[in-house]
Amino acid sequence: MRFLVNPECYHKMCESCVDRIFSQGPAPCPVAGCARTLRKQRFRKQTFEDLQIEREVDVRRRVAATFNRRESEFQTLRDYNNYLEEVETLTFNLLYNIDVAITEAKLASYAKQNAADIANNKALSAQESASTEARMAAQKEQARLRREAARIEEEEERREREEGRREIIEKIAHSTDDPDKIVREGQKVVLKKSTARRNAADRLRAQDAASVDNASAPLFQIAGLRPITQPQLEQVYDPFGGYVVKPSYFELQPSYAHPWLEKAKTDPQILAGGYDVGEYCARTMMEACAGLGVFVEEEVARRERAADADLGTQSAAIAGGEGGGSGSDVL
Amino acid sequence: MPSGTGKTVSLLSLIVAYQQYYPEHRKLIYCSRTMSEIEKALAELKALMKYRTDQLGYEEDFRGLGLTSRKNLCLHPSVKREKSGSVVDARCRSLTAGFVKEKKERGEDVDLCIYHDNLDLLEPHNLVPSGVFTLDGLLKYGEQQKQCPYFSARRMMPFCNVIIYSYHYLLDPKIAERVSKELSKDCIVVFDEAHNIDNVCIESLSIDLTEDSLRKATRGANNLERRITEMRSSDADKLQNEYAKLVEGLRDADESRQEDEFMANPALPDDLLQEAVPGNIRRAEHFVAFLKRFIEYLKTRMKVLHVISETPPSFLQHLKDLTFIEKKPLRFCAERLTSLVRTLELTNIEDYQPLQEVATFATLAATYDKGFLLILEPYESDTATVPNPILHFTCLDAAIAIRPVFDRFSSVIITSGTISPLEMYPKMLGFTTVVQESYSMTLARRSFLPMIVTRGSDQSAISSGFQIRNEPGVVRNYGSLLMEFSKITPDGIVVFFPSYLYMESIISMWQGMGTLDEIWKYKLILVETPDSQETSLALETYRTACCNGRGAILLCVARGKVSEGIDFDHHYGRTVLCIGVPFQYTESRILKARLEFLRETYRIRENDFLSFDAMRHAAQCLGRVLRGKDDYGVMVLADRRFQKKRSQLPKWINQAMLDSDTSLSTDMAVASAKKFLRTMAQPFSERDQAGVSTWDIKDLERHKRKMEEEKIRELQNGGDGAKMEVDGHANGMNGADEYGADDDLDYAMMDMNA
Ligand code: SF4
Ligand SMILES: [Zn+2]
Ligand SMILES: [Zn+2]
Repeated sequence: MRFLVNPECYHKMCESCVDRIFSQGPAPCPVAGCARTLRKQRFRKQTFEDLQIEREVDVRRRVAATFNRRESEFQTLRDYNNYLEEVETLTFNLLYNIDVAITEAKLASYAKQNAADIANNKALSAQESASTEARMAAQKEQARLRREAARIEEEEERREREEGRREIIEKIAHSTDDPDKIVREGQKVVLKKSTARRNAADRLRAQDAASVDNASAPLFQIAGLRPITQPQLEQVYDPFGGYVVKPSYFELQPSYAHPWLEKAKTDPQILAGGYDVGEYCARTMMEACAGLGVFVEEEVARRERAADADLGTQSAAIAGGEGGGSGSDVL
Repeated sequence: MPSGTGKTVSLLSLIVAYQQYYPEHRKLIYCSRTMSEIEKALAELKALMKYRTDQLGYEEDFRGLGLTSRKNLCLHPSVKREKSGSVVDARCRSLTAGFVKEKKERGEDVDLCIYHDNLDLLEPHNLVPSGVFTLDGLLKYGEQQKQCPYFSARRMMPFCNVIIYSYHYLLDPKIAERVSKELSKDCIVVFDEAHNIDNVCIESLSIDLTEDSLRKATRGANNLERRITEMRSSDADKLQNEYAKLVEGLRDADESRQEDEFMANPALPDDLLQEAVPGNIRRAEHFVAFLKRFIEYLKTRMKVLHVISETPPSFLQHLKDLTFIEKKPLRFCAERLTSLVRTLELTNIEDYQPLQEVATFATLAATYDKGFLLILEPYESDTATVPNPILHFTCLDAAIAIRPVFDRFSSVIITSGTISPLEMYPKMLGFTTVVQESYSMTLARRSFLPMIVTRGSDQSAISSGFQIRNEPGVVRNYGSLLMEFSKITPDGIVVFFPSYLYMESIISMWQGMGTLDEIWKYKLILVETPDSQETSLALETYRTACCNGRGAILLCVARGKVSEGIDFDHHYGRTVLCIGVPFQYTESRILKARLEFLRETYRIRENDFLSFDAMRHAAQCLGRVLRGKDDYGVMVLADRRFQKKRSQLPKWINQAMLDSDTSLSTDMAVASAKKFLRTMAQPFSERDQAGVSTWDIKDLERHKRKMEEEKIRELQNGGDGAKMEVDGHANGMNGADEYGADDDLDYAMMDMNA
């Protein structure tokens, strides 16, 4: 008997019951106290033993589809971590039915606002998983090939050894030489052959290993690419490092209408030397406002007060010295 | 070189002399495999220091301590009675954790371990007096002073000149992080008995998950959830604090001092350890939900009824598709769990062991793309019909676990009596040797007789190869071989089979042939079983029978407990019989995966590795009977295939094997053994060895002078006036063993020894 669940309410039902109840179209869940309307086509086999987890994963699927930002999109790791936590809290709210309405609204509004980013990231991760899959498949294939090669090599070696032995026996049978000597020589030949082959195989393998990444992969893919970021335009050099002096009592206008200046603005005799009316205006304005905000009385008063305090301290010191008796002797 | 010939003590004396000569006093970390080996090394060190005191005339300021698990060092009256090591660990933690103490100070009623608390009353750098303590001595001292030996040793580690402990404290990243973090870079690291080091490395990073452990993990996760809710209502600040810390990406400042942490992180790259925990598992409840989801996913995977083998990247991809778990938070799983467990102040930590396993698994799978494989086996054996799935997360690359050791310490020595062929180890462990040496052994008389028997008494070839292993002729030949040797060997005989399966089938066939009844007349027959209690009973009986003259045969397995840890010195083992080449069971998927990995990555061919592995086990078995220079024994390798593999035996065995003792048939072997045993029966006194296989100081000096003279002559002949270097080369490493070493012990050090 197979049990099915419906992601509406996650009540377990056997297959035949599902057929019986829901084949006429949507019907309420037969479990007492549930009464949610279920459709047959949404019934499915459960993946996890724990239905709680089954539901959790469904929720997560939904949340993950929306909140799919990547670490690289954040300025700091901490921001990313905060983001992750927020998403997790959101998921928990959905799971344990806390403020569902607000949470759903948040989810929806986020999805609407960031539709482009979401789609972008989705495409990216799809591409990524495709390429990892391809890479894994390629690796598997290569491993299989190598295994095969090793097996063949071994077999070859065994065959050769057999052959060598047969040859030796043959030789012994047909020659009058000292059999021991023949055997010794024969073994040497076999040994030489096998070392030569092994070396060759090793070399081949080394070549293989070198060309693993560029040769056999069916799809051109590169692992571990960082997402492309636009290079930032180089800033114009600023000797003050961003420090601006802004006059506080006036605002410099682009031009001042003054009959006396009109001529200087256009006369080549004046301009040829590099004279700039704007500079002149700026200087004049600065000079005009230079003393504003400075109140002489106040400054004087402050100075006097400071002098008084000094005196006070001195006299206090003297008084203390006298009080101490011996202190004055020292002074 | 077999143990008992002084390789530990020569290594120790060499390094201690070097250490004491130079002002840096580089610390020595000596790693051995079992507790008894650690104890032996400590005893040797103690004797050595006593000797140095005698010779120097004053006592050096020197500390040497050994460390083993809590289970062996605990003194707490109820905790020490626990059987399982992890329970002892967990119970001890609940008695000694920092927050438990705080609770006590607040006046709550909690249990503490008095042995642990007494330590705080002592000076932190002087918990035990200087000198060398054996484990036993430390226990006694702890009992006397009412202080915990385990923590005394742990806390004294930074002040020790020599530390002797088990491999795991360095190789298992989960423990190493905790125990060995503070050891400085210039430590000298020695791995003794290292012929199996690659397997230790691999085991320390492999994890097996079963349905049962997943169920327990779920229970653990649910417990965590409950505790979080409780804490939120009672003590929400603590959770908030933890959260704040995680946001800042801060690691606990006092974390390193926490010696009783729940678990440490498996080998993680450093940069990752600096990074902040990802946002979606920062909150405790989010993390627990995350864990639950992951466990549920694993459970779903377990339901599959066919074998799956998968690389971590493809596993991660599938995981992400199904449950939206990303790689990054998965990587932080172990660390996050540790932090949570600490925050929740859990005491019954043993309940969370399965959860911890899952978290470690998650972290490892997300950290390493290469060198690991996931294998799901739905059935226990090929014939089983009821699924009992196991998810193996197996490490294929021994280099991963040992790499941090090589990176961190500048001198590493790898040594063993049966480490051969040497070239294999650097290849497998991914390092290059600075000095690589294989030493032969000098003996005053030929005290062991290695032989290769290729034919049975009927002159047909014998072998445990698959095609012929169960043929009655072969089995009968093996039977008669055993019988002949049981007739001529005094006292004990040890027989090694390649596997339990083969041993059982051969025994039942011998039963049918009446071979056993015949052997019975000469010796008692005892059998090793996978059950350790039964085996130890068998061993005891075996020993008794050897002692009282009845004589006995112990049938055991080349990869079993007996072959690794038990010595058959003197009359406990006069003949060792290796029936068949002890190849590994090649149908195992894990082994197949590892072979493939070795071929692809290190260019080690399957057959080379298998034969190397078989031969190191065979050598290990042979070494069991010769435990010292005054010991003697016959070693028989009974398989046609041994003939070609002879060169893969350790040098000391291979050199002692005469050409005339190879390719024998049973009757020839028996005749040769008879002759050998007769010579061994001649009286042999200590004095006969002097000057040949044991040297006193005069012999040593003579040797040194000779070497120097030779050197000078050589230099003079070369017309080269550089005589200054001469004494640098005189090294009298007489008893030194065979070691393939990655060390930079310079000449000065050797000079010291001479
Ligand atoms: S502190 Fe020591 S004595 Fe006490 S329980 Fe732990 S290991 Fe045992
Ligand atoms: Zn039904
Ligand atoms: Zn319902």
